[in-house]
Amino acid sequence: MIDAISLSVFQNAIHSIAEEMGATLRRTAISPNIKERRDYSCAIFDAKARVIAMGDHMPVHLGSMPLSVEAAVCALKLRRGDVAILNDPYAGGTHLPDITLVMPIFAADRDDLIFYAAARAHHADVGGMFAGSMGPAREIYQEGLRIPPMRLVRNGIMDEEVLSLILANVRTPVERSGDLAAQIGACRVGAERLQELAQKYGDQTPALCDELLNYSERLMQSVLRKMPAGEFVGEDFLDNSTTVDAADANPVRIRGTLRFSPNDATIEIDFAGSSPQVIGSINAVFSITYSACFYVLRCLLPADAPATAGLMRPVRVTAPVGSIVNATPPAAVAAGNVETSQRIVDVLLRALAQAAPQIVPAASYGTMSNLTIGGTDLRRNAAPFAYYETTAGGMGARPGSDGPSGMHAHMTNSLNTPIEALEYAYPLRVQRYSYREHSGGAGRFHGGDGIIREIELLSDAQVTLLCDRHRIGPYGLAEGKPGAVGRATLTRANGDRESLPAKSTTFAKRGDRIRIETPGGGGWGKPD
Amino acid sequence: MRIAIDTGGTFTDCVYLQDGQLRILKVLSTPDDPSLAVLQAVRDIIAADPDHQGVVEVRHGTTVGTNALLERKGARVAFVTTAGFEDTIAIGRQARPSLYDWSFVPLPPLVPRELRFGIAERVSSEGKVVVPLSEEAIASLGAQIRISEAESVALSTLFSFLHPAHEARIASALAPLGLPISVSHRIMPEFREYERASTVCVNAYLAPKMGSYLRNLQQTLSAEFSESQASVMQSAGGIMDAVTAADEPVRTVLSGPAGGVIGAYQVALQAGYTKVIAFDMGGTSTDVSLIDATQGGPRITAESIVSGLPIGVPMLDIHTAGAGGGSIARWDAGGLLRVGPESAGASPGPICYGTGLDATVTDANVLLGRLDPDGFLAGGIRLDTARMRSQMDSQRGILPNAEAFAEGILRIVESTMEKAIRLVSIERGHDPRDFTLIAFGGAGPLHACALARLLGIPRVLIPALPGALSALGILFADQVRDYSRTLMLQADDDQCERLLQGELIRLQAGAPLADNVLRQPGADLRYQGQGYELNIPWRNSLPHMLSEFHQAHHLHYGFSDKARKVEVVTVRLRIIAPAVRWEPTLQDAVAKDSRVAITSTRPVLFAGAWADTPVYDRALLRPGDAFAGPAIISEYSSTTFLPPGDRVIVDTLGNLIIEVGA
Repeated sequence: MIDAISLSVFQNAIHSIAEEMGATLRRTAISPNIKERRDYSCAIFDAKARVIAMGDHMPVHLGSMPLSVEAAVCALKLRRGDVAILNDPYAGGTHLPDITLVMPIFAADRDDLIFYAAARAHHADVGGMFAGSMGPAREIYQEGLRIPPMRLVRNGIMDEEVLSLILANVRTPVERSGDLAAQIGACRVGAERLQELAQKYGDQTPALCDELLNYSERLMQSVLRKMPAGEFVGEDFLDNSTTVDAADANPVRIRGTLRFSPNDATIEIDFAGSSPQVIGSINAVFSITYSACFYVLRCLLPADAPATAGLMRPVRVTAPVGSIVNATPPAAVAAGNVETSQRIVDVLLRALAQAAPQIVPAASYGTMSNLTIGGTDLRRNAAPFAYYETTAGGMGARPGSDGPSGMHAHMTNSLNTPIEALEYAYPLRVQRYSYREHSGGAGRFHGGDGIIREIELLSDAQVTLLCDRHRIGPYGLAEGKPGAVGRATLTRANGDRESLPAKSTTFAKRGDRIRIETPGGGGWGKPD
Repeated sequence: MRIAIDTGGTFTDCVYLQDGQLRILKVLSTPDDPSLAVLQAVRDIIAADPDHQGVVEVRHGTTVGTNALLERKGARVAFVTTAGFEDTIAIGRQARPSLYDWSFVPLPPLVPRELRFGIAERVSSEGKVVVPLSEEAIASLGAQIRISEAESVALSTLFSFLHPAHEARIASALAPLGLPISVSHRIMPEFREYERASTVCVNAYLAPKMGSYLRNLQQTLSAEFSESQASVMQSAGGIMDAVTAADEPVRTVLSGPAGGVIGAYQVALQAGYTKVIAFDMGGTSTDVSLIDATQGGPRITAESIVSGLPIGVPMLDIHTAGAGGGSIARWDAGGLLRVGPESAGASPGPICYGTGLDATVTDANVLLGRLDPDGFLAGGIRLDTARMRSQMDSQRGILPNAEAFAEGILRIVESTMEKAIRLVSIERGHDPRDFTLIAFGGAGPLHACALARLLGIPRVLIPALPGALSALGILFADQVRDYSRTLMLQADDDQCERLLQGELIRLQAGAPLADNVLRQPGADLRYQGQGYELNIPWRNSLPHMLSEFHQAHHLHYGFSDKARKVEVVTVRLRIIAPAVRWEPTLQDAVAKDSRVAITSTRPVLFAGAWADTPVYDRALLRPGDAFAGPAIISEYSSTTFLPPGDRVIVDTLGNLIIEVGA
């Protein structure tokens, strides 16, 4: 029998280990995307591969990390000293740039598997037809190297053959290898701490993990009991699947239904009625959809609630197979993680606003405005480079306050790359970084403003965009107005200016400038 | 005479040396103008010394800057930067502070939109001018600032540290406005534009208030005493003169806590301990920091966040956890007991103070007999135990009784503090078993032994003058100035060593000369491409420095790779004028019966069982006194709980040295 005090102390300890893994990864990684922007997550799983702690890093990883560990554990017989690697969206991954490492942890003095540690990071390039591996692909084979669960480290020793295969398929192998070393380092820190922890708690450890999950389940149930019974439907659209083919330029529907049963403290979330999967990279695999649901429900809990598998026990998520929210091979998925995930949240919030109007904000900017620039750096003997960045926008207005401006919302919380760090690392020069004034939707409370970021190329490079909300702005609530749609412009060195489609790739020249303007948030309440 | 004055609390603590003896004076603080208490104390001390002659040196730990920042009562600042980047300081790092909260309200930036000015100019990452700065642009900026009614100017342009000429020209053109101007390449010549601009804006925000405060203080001192000198404790743990502090107040925002850490360090060194963890537990939070004299003493960081704002000038690396005597216990919806970070503060305070409603750590300590309900602040506050007991009983949730609830609260708050100490020790490659825990603050000595046991720390030290530790640190702190500049060199470049040395010589040339100063040169290194650096001392050889870097990386992160390329990011120079050392007079250890210090006994609950426990009055303890737990040692400002299995001895300096049992 586990007492409430021991459980609280255990939860505190396990959470701080997940945080320490994250700090190690951040401090030793190479690519600005990880070290400066913190696009990573670290999590701890019990011996039954159920998530019991996760650092507060990236919400989009909430529901998808567990599926990675499950996939690695099912596919491989992991032994002491092994580290599995995977990125296959159809086998535990999300989109190819997110590479996850999974390490089984055995007791220091016995042969018992006690925990798993996992570290995921978004790598700035994993090969494929677009530098930065985040482009308007048509099928997954174009998106980069696909790694099913396999061993990167065997019995404590790096498998150089596996590593060399990976590095041979990416544009920036030195950076990749440094980042993977940082991920392995994070797992090893986790292993050391978890072994100590297991020694301290001994045979009680499994029972503590069970109780932590039961506790989380009770926490979620307490929220679900307070929700109104019934069915609430929300719907929203992605602008289009790809702007490369005119035929695919139609809006893509996502429909979500929330069914609350407060009496038995459960909820069903059903995505029936969503569009079939499309040609283009906005398809989301199921783990992304699950993460979006996890995120929305997590927001209803107190701030210090631990993100464990127990939270989702009272929740059932279904999505039609082969749809935009549960894609099957060979659909391309790069933007499912970053764009569709945000739209799923918009859909869920629209439905939730009917059930709990007093707490739900209007739609936020709803697009991570993914920009990748890749080429060779003329300043450094034509060394290859790949720059990846997402840009924040305006957050939706809340019932009671304006939406914040220029801040990441919902499924991401990555930081910006400091301009001076970016210019040291890449042949790029930032010309402007500012709020985009008057882009927030009007309302009794205003939506936040988006951002303008303009970058000049100092070397020829391929510029790829994955954006959305360039046609359909973020919705307002309670008669609030929508936020302004986003825009992207390329200004050639000679002054010629062209509008870039939201999902596109361009070979640009030295001296050209790319300008991104991100959407504002929706307003809340009728404008005065 | 040198007088150290800490104005942080209800009382203004003054510590000074007279006839080789350490003396203490406490006067009531004057929060509206802290200098009134400071001046009163100085007058009293000087008046009481008939032999006084020579310089009156007032060393000041001040909260004027801290409070102005926390309460957002600083100056109206104009922020000037490269055109196109006026919003940088507002956008920050574009991340939200709370991940799962839809209704959070972000802190407004220090400088509103109408006071942010862009100027056409640009320097590249190689330090070359890409867009030249024109006289017309400077003139128009001056006009705009003049009509803006700004009280202070913050100037931070992109890559200013590589090419300071633009900022220098702008600053000299704005000088006729008569406003204090904070310039980025002088205050923090380091890369990362947001952190640098934020630091410079904080400086500008505090400059008028701190400037006039310190100038007034210095003037009044000069008027009253023939020779006088005011100086200020920096957040980095060193003293700097008041004139510099008035120009660079951003270096003083954690002046008071820095005094506490340096005080703890001084006490540890005098008592013969070189590796210590300072543990300061107050009413709302706990500050911990690790000090290893064998590795240069207190750790410094350039990554602090104060009141939501990044501050990049060096500060002591103090980690704060939301755990204090007033931390509130509550059951969450899943049935887990949580303690803190919410605090009952001074009002309503813990239940036992009479008006509080929520169970706190202090209530748990009173209920378990560890705090004396009658002797609180020497009887100044009488606690309402009957009400406290019934409230605790009604809030105990599923636990069998109020005692189990109280013990649970302590276990949880101790696990939060354990986490904080692990973060500054184990997570940075230090083994707590090699350290001594120095406990201070109102609640530190109550929890120190339990905490030491959780972490395997073998020894706890409760300093002799816990109430004046911060002032003591200020009195004995060295004078320190920090200089730095980002260079971003590749270590395998033939020029690297030469450039690094050249920069150190340049930094030294800008530092004041004195015979007795120590120079601590160093640089921040990292593997090429990493985003965080490790500070490595410079010992006149680049290969030596690199090998120290690989070792340090292994210590901190568990791996290193000599084949990987290394970057020399920022060069640093610390100039130290050591304080005059003071050898305390040791009291003789007399073997006597320490039981004469027992004033009463009372039941204390430990590990589920009540035991009659002697209460010692610390004022009656003498060097050499030794006894074993369980015991309570009571003094004016705090209470030490000595659990069964631990043993205390009073050392010749009056410190309590506790050997923690297994």
